Amino acid sequence: MSSEPLLRVENLKTQFFTEAGTVRAVDGLSFEVREGEIVGLVGESGAGKSVASMSIMGLVEAPGEIVAGEITYKGETIFGLEEGPDGELRKRDDALSDEEIRTRIRGNEIAVIFQDPMESLNPVFTVGGQLREFIELNRGLGEDEAKAAAIDMLREVGIPDPEERYEEYPHQFSGGMRQRVLIAMALACEPSLIIADEPTTALDVTVEGQILDLVDDLQAKYGTSFIWVTHDLGVVAEICDRVNVMYLGEIVEQAPVDELFYDTKHPYTNALLDSIPRPDRTVTELEAIEGVMPEAITPPSGCRFHPRCPDAREVCKRVHPEAKVVDDAGGEPHRAACVQHDAFDVGYDESPPLEGVAGGVSTVRDEGSGDSGADSELAANPTGDDSGGGSRE
Amino acid sequence: MAVSESQLESGREPATEDEEEVEARVGWRYTVARIKRDTTARWGLYVVTIVLFVAIYAVVDSNLSLLTFGLLSDFTFARLLPIFDHPTHIPPPGEGTQHMPPYFPLAEQAWNPLPAGGTLEHPLGTDHTGRDYFTRIVYGTQVSVFVGLVSTFIGLAGGTVIGAVAGYYGGRADDILMRAVETVYSIPPLILIIVFTVFVGGANIWYAVLGVGITFIPVFARIIRSRVLSIREMDYIEAARAAGVKDRHIIMRHVVPNSFAPVLVYATLQIGVTILIVAGLSFLGYGAQPPTPDWGQMLNIAHGYMHSNVWLSIWPGIAIMITIMGFNLFGDGLQDALDPRIDD
Amino acid sequence: MKLLKYTIYRLLQAIPVLIGISVITFLLANLGPGDPVSLMLQGQEHSEELVRTIERRYGLDRPLHERYLTYMGGLLQGDFGQSIHHQRPVADLMINRVGPTLLLVLSAYAFALATAIPLGIIAANRRNEPTDHVSRIAALVGVSTPSFWIGIVLILIFAVTLGWLPSSGLIYPWRPPSAYRGIDGHLELYYESVRHLLLPMIALGTLQMATIMRVERTQMIESLQGEYVKLARAYGVPERTILRKHAFNVAQLPIITIVGLNLSTAIGGAVLVETVFNINGMGRLFVNAISTNDYQLVMGITMMLGFLFVIGVIITDISYAYVDPRVTYGERE
Repeated sequence: MSSEPLLRVENLKTQFFTEAGTVRAVDGLSFEVREGEIVGLVGESGAGKSVASMSIMGLVEAPGEIVAGEITYKGETIFGLEEGPDGELRKRDDALSDEEIRTRIRGNEIAVIFQDPMESLNPVFTVGGQLREFIELNRGLGEDEAKAAAIDMLREVGIPDPEERYEEYPHQFSGGMRQRVLIAMALACEPSLIIADEPTTALDVTVEGQILDLVDDLQAKYGTSFIWVTHDLGVVAEICDRVNVMYLGEIVEQAPVDELFYDTKHPYTNALLDSIPRPDRTVTELEAIEGVMPEAITPPSGCRFHPRCPDAREVCKRVHPEAKVVDDAGGEPHRAACVQHDAFDVGYDESPPLEGVAGGVSTVRDEGSGDSGADSELAANPTGDDSGGGSRE
Repeated sequence: MAVSESQLESGREPATEDEEEVEARVGWRYTVARIKRDTTARWGLYVVTIVLFVAIYAVVDSNLSLLTFGLLSDFTFARLLPIFDHPTHIPPPGEGTQHMPPYFPLAEQAWNPLPAGGTLEHPLGTDHTGRDYFTRIVYGTQVSVFVGLVSTFIGLAGGTVIGAVAGYYGGRADDILMRAVETVYSIPPLILIIVFTVFVGGANIWYAVLGVGITFIPVFARIIRSRVLSIREMDYIEAARAAGVKDRHIIMRHVVPNSFAPVLVYATLQIGVTILIVAGLSFLGYGAQPPTPDWGQMLNIAHGYMHSNVWLSIWPGIAIMITIMGFNLFGDGLQDALDPRIDD
Repeated sequence: MKLLKYTIYRLLQAIPVLIGISVITFLLANLGPGDPVSLMLQGQEHSEELVRTIERRYGLDRPLHERYLTYMGGLLQGDFGQSIHHQRPVADLMINRVGPTLLLVLSAYAFALATAIPLGIIAANRRNEPTDHVSRIAALVGVSTPSFWIGIVLILIFAVTLGWLPSSGLIYPWRPPSAYRGIDGHLELYYESVRHLLLPMIALGTLQMATIMRVERTQMIESLQGEYVKLARAYGVPERTILRKHAFNVAQLPIITIVGLNLSTAIGGAVLVETVFNINGMGRLFVNAISTNDYQLVMGITMMLGFLFVIGVIITDISYAYVDPRVTYGERE
């Protein structure tokens, strides 16, 4: 596992310079993707997941700009900044040029699947024509070969009568079918990495299930790595190998998928888990996260989650935690950015709890044991006191 | 969509502002604020204000009856400014000494050489009967603005009624009204207006105004109708209907006001179109009749003097252009302010 | 096959509109206070008997609906009635006039499209840069300036002052060179017809150009922000191809609609431009007919221009259906 990962993102910062101020959409993001794995990027809308994935492709649109960080793909630096002699930031010499990224990376090395299958296909060109164009461009095939490859791939993703459907226009496809076309498009370019940006969000649940199964099968068959951007932990559980949980442009927890679910280390992840409907809980237990996510333009001081965190203490207002290794899960590090953990020696235990934050309802429970049955009985009383808070240590 | 919608949207307001500010984003105050910030709208507003001022000045300054039926006292503007020496004797139009066109005298007119650039008395020179051109241009504003506003209003009022009825009731009424609208729409407006003006009224500015107004009813009717169609299905209309509120009341109190914003923008832009059409109408001789000064009609006369005085054909055109540009700028700005979808 | 059906459907749809046009023109021409007979006699001495005779001759003594039906019956056989002023069939008078007007309007559109689309794309691509500002101001001036005045200014500059181009009349390329004095050979004929057409074409085309440019810019900006453009970028499609193909095609759809709808403005503008440039087209015929109170001729011309507009809209509708695969035939408003 110590070999060079497929993609490494280090300290990535992407900001949007708007009239009202600078939006720090991605603020110091670090993670990696290894060959053949599906890595989840999870968070509420506005957490910066999509911006992060667009940054990797070098497709951040004005007024956005990547202001710091380094992205390495297969050992090559696809993005890197250095300080020039005049003190201005400039592109590093060893980083690929825009043109090289366009011809060598986009499509043929890293492909994307966008969220909205209804809008992502061009309405005035045939589905086949669009597939063929991208295949020709990224695999250097001739027209006929590209067409054959496109039809094969359409069949592969489960589109019936691919020869006929090849000639049809996007509006003649259903949402699920269009998403299959987009998946076919990504796979047909034979990339090593596919960034799937909320690819199932716009689909209904049964179709979502089919698509997830399809991706699972195809991933096993082609060995392609995925970055799976989603806000849905259910999807994460089903498909991902490792997970990065994002909050306000930062990673707050990073762990293999089972670890994340059964040994949650960050109160935000916990809160996210509590907000998922599950068959083993009644609706009264379903808990929304208190408050709304603050603006990335004026992030709270200290830990960005502290205004909504049930465990927040005085120290959380002051100390801004970076994600640190807090546990080890079979050789995989489990990182979390929460000062509750021993790795942060900032005096959390001595710090007094914050006043007026997140009442007793949004309790973060210690479910590390996985014994949710007992817990849910306890929580069935909605007025249950704040017993969970701070009792972890 | 690099940053999520909500993030950018609310990112415009400082996070410390309370929720009322966010609410205000859809209201009138917000629109006005946007107009103030929008350079296009601001410039449009300046031009429109100046043009309106000039038009109103012309109304206040002259005798109202003279105004309507023609015959304006000349040289008014020059006399107003004390630095200008005004002539003691004013020859009535068409009589007395004729001032020759002042600019660029051609060889055959060298016998009456006037300084290029006009004189202090006549900054833009005089027309073929010796009347001060600048004064006539100023007074022309009034006809254009009047025609633009009144006929647009006629179109707006008629279109609102027809569009609201057609859209609200749907069915047969909608079919018939919309076919009628489509028919009127199919005759090129200038043609229809001329036929209406000449055959119904005889060449006369009042019939021209009416004709222009009627001709543009279909355009407004279409917009109102499509707005009404979408608003009709809204829950609060359903609720009002269920509560037994009268149809007419629903249309007037709920449907029309809520469909008005885009129509208002359209009306502002339509004023420009109207002025353009009436200029053409007058150029052909079917708009304002002499001696009422009207830009299109002045161009018509100047057309006959193209070789002897170039500038007679230039000034009225520039006046038309600036006026229409003002309304168009303002309309564009309004559109941006009300529909921030394309945000510059 | 589908297109053919759609075409027939649209043609059938146009019938009530054409009937409507005829009703409106007929009513306007016959209900006005200007009594055709006294207009015809134009102040001449006339006896009551003479009036009766003329009325009988033109069928003016019959009730209105009967006269309308007679008129419509004639129309169906291509008979537009008799011009009172010219004492010739209206159809004969119009037949030579349609060509020049069509030539003028079509060339104006060709000019407008050929200039507006590239300019609109450039403006959209260089949004908020100086190029964009300049072209936006130019477009604003274009939509704010009367076509006849542009014609006058063009004449003043290129004909009167510089003497480069002729200021009046057209040379029709479909006539034999022998029809014109001083022109021998087809090449010179085409050259001269272009020279004559240039100024009126620009005068009439400027408004269309400005309108189309504004729409093109807006549509391109919108299209360039589309998800499909993002997708094409993410698959490494060069920016140039995106501009020319991916964003371009979608953005052209509204242009087709605009061209069709603006046809009525263009036909109206042709009346003015023909007057300024002394072109013997439908527009000038119309102005003459109005000034001589030739109500039969006015009716004929109005019908004809309305018909041209309806046909134009149908053509654009069909090309829209041809270009946009999403149009389900027969259901589009």
